[in-house]
Amino acid sequence: MIRRYHVVAIPIRIVVNNFGDHNPDGVMYVLKENEATVNELVRKNPFTPVELVQPLTIRANEGDMVEILFENRLPFAAGMHFQEADYNVLTSDGANVGFNPSSLADCGETILYEIHAMREGIYFFTDLGNVSSTQDGSSLQGLYGTLLVERRGSWWTDPLTGGPLTSGVFADVHNPFLPSFREYAWFFGDEMEVDDLTGNRPLDPVTGQDVESFHGVNYRIEPLHNRERLLEEGVVCPECDGEEVHHDSWVFGDPATPILRGYKDDPAMIRLIHGAAKETHTFHYHAHQWLKDPSNLQSEMLDVQAISPQSHYNVQPLYGLGSLSGAIGDVIVHCHLYPHFGAGMWGINRIFDTLQDGSQCYPNGIPIEPLQPLPDRPRPPLPTKEKPGFPNFIPGKVGCKAPRPPLGIVGGREMTELERNAAVPNARPGAVFSDTCLGNPVVVEFNVSMIEMPIMYNRQGWNDPKGRLYVLDKDLDDVLSGKKEPEPLVLHIPADSCIRMNFTNRLPHVLDGDAFQLVTRTYETAFHVHFVKFDILVSDGANVGWNYDSSVLPGETIRYEWFADTELKGFFFHDHLFPAAHQQHGVFGSGTVHPRFSQFFDSRTGEETERGSQVTAVNPLIPDYRDYSLFVQDFALLFDKNGCPLAPPEFPGSQDDPGVFAVNYKNEPLQFRLGKEKDPAYSFSSFVNGDPITPILLAYEGDPIRIRLLQGAQEESHSFNVHGLKWKSEFPDNDSILRSQQHTGIAEAFTLETDIPRAGDYLWAFEDEEDVWSGAWGLIRAFDQEVDDLIPLPDRRLPPPRTIPLPEVTGKPPALANLLNTLPPEAPLNAPVRRFNVVAFQTPIIYNSYGDHDPFGIIFALEEDVEDILSGKTNPEPLVLRGNTGDLIEITLTSRLKFELFPFADGIHPYPPVKEQAFYPPSLRISLHPNLLDYDVTTSSGDTVGFNPDQTVGPGEKITYRWYVNGAFGTNAMWDVADLRNHRSFGAFGAFIAEPRFTTYLDPTTLQPVKTGTNVIISNPLTGNAREFVLIMHDGVRLVDKNGQLIIDPIAGILGEPEEIDDLVDTYDNGSRGFNYRTERLINRLNEHPVLSELFSSKVFGDPATPVFEAYLGEAVVIRLANPSERRRAHTFHLHGHSWKFNPRNLSSRIDSFVGHMVPGSTDDLLLIGGAGGIFNFPGDYMYRSGNIRWDIEQGMWGIFRVHEKDQPHLPRLTN
Amino acid sequence: MSNQNSEREDLILRQLNRLIGESILVVTESAQLNLLGQTFRPIFCGPIVEVETGHITIFPATIKILNAPFFQFPTPLSIPLEKIAHFTPNFDCEARFPLV
Amino acid sequence: MTHDNSNNIDVNAIHDMALLDHFIDGIGQKVIILSPSFPFLFIGTIVDVVEDLIELDVETTHFSQLEDRTWFIHIHNIEVFYIERPGEPQIPELKDMT
Repeated sequence: MIRRYHVVAIPIRIVVNNFGDHNPDGVMYVLKENEATVNELVRKNPFTPVELVQPLTIRANEGDMVEILFENRLPFAAGMHFQEADYNVLTSDGANVGFNPSSLADCGETILYEIHAMREGIYFFTDLGNVSSTQDGSSLQGLYGTLLVERRGSWWTDPLTGGPLTSGVFADVHNPFLPSFREYAWFFGDEMEVDDLTGNRPLDPVTGQDVESFHGVNYRIEPLHNRERLLEEGVVCPECDGEEVHHDSWVFGDPATPILRGYKDDPAMIRLIHGAAKETHTFHYHAHQWLKDPSNLQSEMLDVQAISPQSHYNVQPLYGLGSLSGAIGDVIVHCHLYPHFGAGMWGINRIFDTLQDGSQCYPNGIPIEPLQPLPDRPRPPLPTKEKPGFPNFIPGKVGCKAPRPPLGIVGGREMTELERNAAVPNARPGAVFSDTCLGNPVVVEFNVSMIEMPIMYNRQGWNDPKGRLYVLDKDLDDVLSGKKEPEPLVLHIPADSCIRMNFTNRLPHVLDGDAFQLVTRTYETAFHVHFVKFDILVSDGANVGWNYDSSVLPGETIRYEWFADTELKGFFFHDHLFPAAHQQHGVFGSGTVHPRFSQFFDSRTGEETERGSQVTAVNPLIPDYRDYSLFVQDFALLFDKNGCPLAPPEFPGSQDDPGVFAVNYKNEPLQFRLGKEKDPAYSFSSFVNGDPITPILLAYEGDPIRIRLLQGAQEESHSFNVHGLKWKSEFPDNDSILRSQQHTGIAEAFTLETDIPRAGDYLWAFEDEEDVWSGAWGLIRAFDQEVDDLIPLPDRRLPPPRTIPLPEVTGKPPALANLLNTLPPEAPLNAPVRRFNVVAFQTPIIYNSYGDHDPFGIIFALEEDVEDILSGKTNPEPLVLRGNTGDLIEITLTSRLKFELFPFADGIHPYPPVKEQAFYPPSLRISLHPNLLDYDVTTSSGDTVGFNPDQTVGPGEKITYRWYVNGAFGTNAMWDVADLRNHRSFGAFGAFIAEPRFTTYLDPTTLQPVKTGTNVIISNPLTGNAREFVLIMHDGVRLVDKNGQLIIDPIAGILGEPEEIDDLVDTYDNGSRGFNYRTERLINRLNEHPVLSELFSSKVFGDPATPVFEAYLGEAVVIRLANPSERRRAHTFHLHGHSWKFNPRNLSSRIDSFVGHMVPGSTDDLLLIGGAGGIFNFPGDYMYRSGNIRWDIEQGMWGIFRVHEKDQPHLPRLTN
Repeated sequence: MSNQNSEREDLILRQLNRLIGESILVVTESAQLNLLGQTFRPIFCGPIVEVETGHITIFPATIKILNAPFFQFPTPLSIPLEKIAHFTPNFDCEARFPLV
Repeated sequence: MTHDNSNNIDVNAIHDMALLDHFIDGIGQKVIILSPSFPFLFIGTIVDVVEDLIELDVETTHFSQLEDRTWFIHIHNIEVFYIERPGEPQIPELKDMT
């Protein structure tokens, strides 16, 4: 079947809200049939949003051939590149890559794209004709959209009229065999240009400074600063402060951002897309959950999805709108990163319970647009005077803050008559309009308060004088008196529990001002909770749309009801009224819903408990386990012991990355852990520096453990790594891949379930450079003999009594680890041994043909290759080692590091920068740490941690590590841990590939066996031959150009003029980036040949310096992808024209053409479906690249995968 | 032996026949089914309209799809007795219960 | 069913036999079959029942490339199904274009 669309790219003025904020230089895709209309509407409405101005959303069915006639009306060459699609790369790539003909259209021209829609899903499209990250670039300004491919035999209608629909972000989708559903396309976009009504850059009425950059949905924002202005002017809501009413429709009417409308229980699908350009957002949808991988029913349940640029996800809420208990009301959908939330990146899912036929109005008199009921669902009842339906039974007053809910506030009001008519028969505090617990009685009750008190973050006196936290009422005295150390509140609950939460606001009315923040009247607070079910109207702990304001004033108590319907992970809770003002002070915690019938004990005393970040969980049926909760924090607004602010912003109230980093209100900065020797190699050593103040998670050898990984605050991505342990990436799925690293953004929650094979100290770390530098790391400590402060797990054998004294702080580096008699925990005695002699040394690395280079490169190489590298005969690439399942790997590492070859003799490494710079001289010791492999953490982790022996090696020394390959895990990242500050970003990393048994590795040209290399043939007698390409994505690189001038990327690499430079870049954006010690920075090419649309062309420039991997049509190809180094800014990876299983071990896993949010430690294995050239085996040049327009592609993070049809003299074909 | 089998068979048939018109919740054996790419656990609910020696038929047949737990399939559904993992009679198909 | 050689016939076999009979009765009718095995869905006309295989003239599956051909479907692999009969609900048509 052929489906045809005529799409035009046009310049368009984009008005982003009803305040007249607009982008005068917007660009978008639109259907030809709407082009004249939209231009006319925009001309007539220069300061009002026009519905047709939205990211283009068109639809097709699985199996269709979609013909897109693309017409370019922009002043630069442009195109449409489709992700997920199968297409002929020579004609329909929507790009101009390598030796392909260009499939862009010049201004005024047209081109025909043929897209095979082979499977259901989101076929995001974007432009590659102009990848500038500036406001002259296309993506930033709105040039993106999507083709949504529906299941076979589907059709779609307009939700308003029920009539046919050619394009649009909202549709009702129908199918003869499947439920009809509401489809909502939700495009995050950031960094777009915005002017206010007067044509100037908008100012924030509170700070008087520039507002945050654009963070919107479907080209719309509803920022706090506009609404605050109405408060300031006294137009609405006297007595309100601002943030607490930001989402309140009673005060302001509905937002300009999307309102996703449906009826209770309607099946729905949010097509979540990140259109452009820079940030990794966390999408949160209140009160609803969905499967991470909708095609895999064993998949993990989510209620937050991190999403990096140019990636996309299907969000299919379980049980339909209103979730399990059939709740109604306004459900906020937002980016959880508070600065973005404040900048207007939110919308509402409005769930009606009565039929909307156009005859009704909202309380402010605005008509409610009609909404067709889904044809296969019961028709909702018509509104009546007695039962007007949501929102018209709520006794609010337009222009004033939303009313408080009935019944819930202790000493508060009863229901009105209209409320009683709308209520469920058994209405009770916290569950009035839906029966949250499905008839189950309350079995768990908590009394919790929110308080303010100073919190000491470390022994050096870093502190938050205005710490704010949740505390169980029974602990109030102990916490306030200092008897109990403050920590984020973690509640423990067995599954199938109906929970009552009595929350008391004990905060002062005002959050005081300081170098970080202006005085804020945070006079009402609440308890918003994730994952559990609740009545959205009264228990959301928020103030959203036409709902109630379910918060309380100081001194008041409110009751919420939640239902923990099934075993869940740690679920996040926090305040939703003033989170941007005070969540970073500690206002977060979590509940953990354990398996049914679990009991919880204080791991130290053995007393039964219901709270604690470390507990012991005991269950009659399943193995008992240790349960640990870790909350990473950024924007921690701390002062040093002298009262000086740490990393303060330029002005108080700025959201521009103030403060430092921590975990569970603690941090252990590396700058304080140099010891007497001043050697960074012992920064993690407890012998030298004592134990860190950050959490030390205690267990006995062999204990099962569950780590609940959460992020408490506030804006940034983090990368959690555990050295020496691994877990299923999707907790409920036994076919899940194993991981020892996890990306996290705020409000995400992960359960990492594993066990501790052997006694020792295991490093956990948020292991990008700045986080770990700032102290976001700690230990997991497993004992092999009994200790006083840890009860044994009741279902495990008692640990032997202590005969060996516990180690003590000596102030001196520990002895070198001794491999004698130790094997990795799972290694058999007769495992075949594969040996490598690896040398770490310094050498210049040439990053590209323009002369960009790192004169101070630090690399690992096989001993036999060192000479060729040092003599300049080979330009090094990252060390890639391989082993087969069952192999014992012995790595003997030698350090040849020389002090004089480090760039900064004074011990301060200025660029790429980190916050709170301090003296930290380069270590001459080095180590090699792999993730995922099996090893004894006391000898072979490649780090010197806790009370483990030294596993680093100094000049002239040798150390041997033993790693056991206990599974074909594919890609493992490797890096140095001896000096994360001075080594890693200079190249001290690599990868280890764990292959199946009986695999051999061959040079692709000579077909001879090889020991290393990023490009090999893997040959296996059972699975045949495949090409293996290793791509190591890395950033934070310090390059100089051919003249020796330092390159300050990303700024130096921007194509064109950035709008402003001052506060454009965060610390963790700094540095150059690329793949495998190479970068093809587009600015070099542009300077040579200033044509934007030809920057990827090999016809003009020759091939890029980054790897050009080659294969023949249909050959089996696996791409091994790793990011071992080193910044916190998350990257998307995308390969044109190919796709792979999201989880390579599970055939029912979803199919993707991107890898989302890559941060240090992350790895992936991409088994290309259909082999080289994709399902249809089209020859040509396929670009691989980052999806970050800001700032990766320009800065050189791209390369080519070349698929040949004809024989090439240098490249033998794969046999078999 | 064979008589016992026939009697057993009759017993089941008789039991099931008594349930005609009554809604049952029935779960079949496989881990998941797939309708045009939409995957779901095979959990069905509906009134029994037909009982035969080899199968039962329910109509209207609700499929408890995770995101659409009240979806009624457009046709009756016949379920081979040999594929039934377990069932429970007298079940309210409008009831809300967790599916994960 | 009362012969001596029926010792091997157990209740499961009786169910299977009856199910085969049901499909034999449905020869010439349209059927929809869901199977846990790829490609998961078959809609077509029952042509014959050969031992414990259903011969089906398939007009619709998940993929058009696998349609308009004969499929033999093992009866043990049928998870749920519906055979059309006169006066009862019809199996909807699946059209690739609206």
